[in-house]
Amino acid sequence: MSYYLQLLLNGVIAGAVYALFAVGLTLVYGVFRFINFAHAELISWGAYLALMFSSPPVSLPLYLAVIPAIVLTAVIGLSQDWFIYRPLRRGSPITLLIASIGLSYMLRNVLRLIWGSDLMTFSLPPARAFEFSGYYVTGIQLLMLASALLFLMILYLLLTKSLIGKSLRATADNLELAAIMGVSMPKVSAVVWTLASVFAAAGGILLALDTNLEPMMGGANLIKAFAAVLLGGAGNVWGALLGGLFIGIAENLSVAFFSPGYKDFVSFAVIFLLLLFRPRGIFGLLTGVR
Amino acid sequence: MDYLLHVMILALIYSVFAMSLNLELGYAGLYNFGHVAFFGIGAYVSALLSQAGVPVSAAMLCALAAAGIAGALLAVPALRVSGDYFGIATLVFAEMFRLVCLNERWLTKGPMGLPGIPRPAWIAPGVDGMPAYLLFTFLAAVGTFVFIRRLTGSPFGRALRVIREDEHMAQAFGKNILLFKVKAIVAGSVLAGWAGTLWAHYISYISPADFTLTETMLVLLCVVLGGRGTNWGPVVGAIAVVFFGEAVRFLPIPQALTRYVAPLQGIIYGGILVVIMMKMPNGLIPEHRRKNA
Amino acid sequence: MAVHGVSLEIGDTGVTGLVGPNGSGKSTLFHLITGFYRLDQGAIFFGRHSIGRLPPHAISRLGLIRSFQHTRPLPFMTVLDNLIAAAPGQTGELIWALFLKPARVRREENDLREKARGILRLLDLLPLADELAGRLSYGQQKLMELGRILMAGPRLILLDEPTAGINPTLIRRLVDVIHRLCEQGIQIFLIEHNMPLVAKLCQQVFVMDSGELIFSGTPKQAREEPRVIEAYLGRENHAA
Repeated sequence: MSYYLQLLLNGVIAGAVYALFAVGLTLVYGVFRFINFAHAELISWGAYLALMFSSPPVSLPLYLAVIPAIVLTAVIGLSQDWFIYRPLRRGSPITLLIASIGLSYMLRNVLRLIWGSDLMTFSLPPARAFEFSGYYVTGIQLLMLASALLFLMILYLLLTKSLIGKSLRATADNLELAAIMGVSMPKVSAVVWTLASVFAAAGGILLALDTNLEPMMGGANLIKAFAAVLLGGAGNVWGALLGGLFIGIAENLSVAFFSPGYKDFVSFAVIFLLLLFRPRGIFGLLTGVR
Repeated sequence: MDYLLHVMILALIYSVFAMSLNLELGYAGLYNFGHVAFFGIGAYVSALLSQAGVPVSAAMLCALAAAGIAGALLAVPALRVSGDYFGIATLVFAEMFRLVCLNERWLTKGPMGLPGIPRPAWIAPGVDGMPAYLLFTFLAAVGTFVFIRRLTGSPFGRALRVIREDEHMAQAFGKNILLFKVKAIVAGSVLAGWAGTLWAHYISYISPADFTLTETMLVLLCVVLGGRGTNWGPVVGAIAVVFFGEAVRFLPIPQALTRYVAPLQGIIYGGILVVIMMKMPNGLIPEHRRKNA
Repeated sequence: MAVHGVSLEIGDTGVTGLVGPNGSGKSTLFHLITGFYRLDQGAIFFGRHSIGRLPPHAISRLGLIRSFQHTRPLPFMTVLDNLIAAAPGQTGELIWALFLKPARVRREENDLREKARGILRLLDLLPLADELAGRLSYGQQKLMELGRILMAGPRLILLDEPTAGINPTLIRRLVDVIHRLCEQGIQIFLIEHNMPLVAKLCQQVFVMDSGELIFSGTPKQAREEPRVIEAYLGRENHAA
């Protein structure tokens, strides 16, 4: 029993990070109605930039290095929209999708160009494990949980209390109407991409702290994030959060029944089955775009 | 000289692969981002059977059948969703296939892959057999081209284009769009499997690492660059992509810089895809240059 | 716009009209009949066939064919090809037949070509046969739509606002064609806002308002029916 609870605990922690990714992805989808493959690179670039700022010659302590890393990732995210997606918004959604695939591949290879393909890690003292009545959790994992909670709480406040949050929700409901009603599209656009990038970068850094960095890290997690987005209903922020938790827990529990090599299979299966049987997700409202 | 033969064979194999995707993507408007799975199914089935002693030609035929059946099995559920969600569903399918190949070591030897795949009986192994294999793939590519041209120039191809342009109108005129789409996917899958077998028996070693999202992106690039919805488009695109990919080996690059070559190529490939979408979404050969049925 | 409690029968009348203010559910009714919208409750019969649960392409194959409110040409194909593409049940659409029965496919293709030319001649569009459909005027496209419907060999044609947005000359040509079709035994069910045209063409007319059927009878009776007048005037008052 305690074995399963440990897995559950691991799952919640992993799920918290997936929730961060999923929330960013679903924000973009909710407002712009397209799936950004290059979101994966926002995750990996966040991590690698943190590595860069915490290594020579800059050598900031890690907790400071994350700041420029996240800021720069937001710049990358905003640039994606400004230079490529915004001009293509008038076109067919499939053009956007293919462009995002190309962009993702490009950004991933810039990463490989600069840092190579080998695994890298943050140079930290070995993780200290805390024990709570038989269950183990590392300091890093606690940090992941705490950070994710913090970010999500800020998001909640932003979406419900602030004006820009309300504009965002209005835009997600109806893009054209919101524009006509005077919601500033460039502003909403900027907020959405910034949020998505910040969350992606934060999650990427946390992941890299827990495991390691490699150029494909974003891609693997993008699929999990997408599964979470679908579970919660594309465009539904709280659904994405719950979806992320679900995926994290399901993945980690699956290790008890299947070979660990099939861990990723969980999110694949979730996506495939949901698309076929419930494209609106468990809580969802929206369906796919032609 | 050998290297030139190698590049030409690769270009021809990729032409078949690209033509098969174009049938689904360019003509039927189906964004099948999991197409590489059928390439892989063709490769694995043919490799496993021929390693078990089945004559290569029989193994190839079985591989084609397997790819077609897999295509039908994917098509029926996946076509319940449309557009970009269909793209995701097919993409995920390809990843599931790759994961199964990685994990079911008893069958596929997992990440180690399958070495020593035999050549067809009439072709010598290794470098000696390359000119014969070039002829083989050339004939295969020509055959595929002729087949696809017949298909797309026919009422079937015309119906596919109608479905691509305006599904409702197609339905209003009695076309069973689901059936047409399934047929297009099965045909495309069989041909992708064909390309897969050609490749497996040429390169004689395959592993799951050969069937990733990168390969999906590359074949997508071939189709999009060359021009979807035309017959020559994917061929031109495949030749361009393969030659560019391999030609860099001829450049005198200092040893210290070789590790930059692959990422730079990757940046260019991705960049080309983006630029094409932004500037020339119709690719090098636009579909509607002349009126045709 | 939901359609509720509509019960109507076309019987043997040549041309039947469906009129009503905007948003009364006329197009929705067409979508329901032709299978593009799903029927929540009720049944639809075409001759002996119950078509309420059939997919659109099956309904079309039975001879019940529709046009759409806005023209939908295939702009990059010629007018002739647009017509040929619309013919259902082509042997050449079956992959195996392409390779095993090429002669028959070729023959069918020629027959369809001849048939298409004949229809274009009927519609006075023959000079435009090799023109790209995207280059036609709106009115010509509407006539082409009718041509496509005729290629499918219909028994009942549903026309959704066929004369909207076209000039009087083309309207006259359209009316001519409709008369000739009636002579051949093809029935027409049309949605129209052009009242004088409805009065001239239709033997029977149905009036809808807010998703319900409020009247059925001859056009003359409809003009004098208080409920009908109220539906139109009332709608205008709301709009004003």
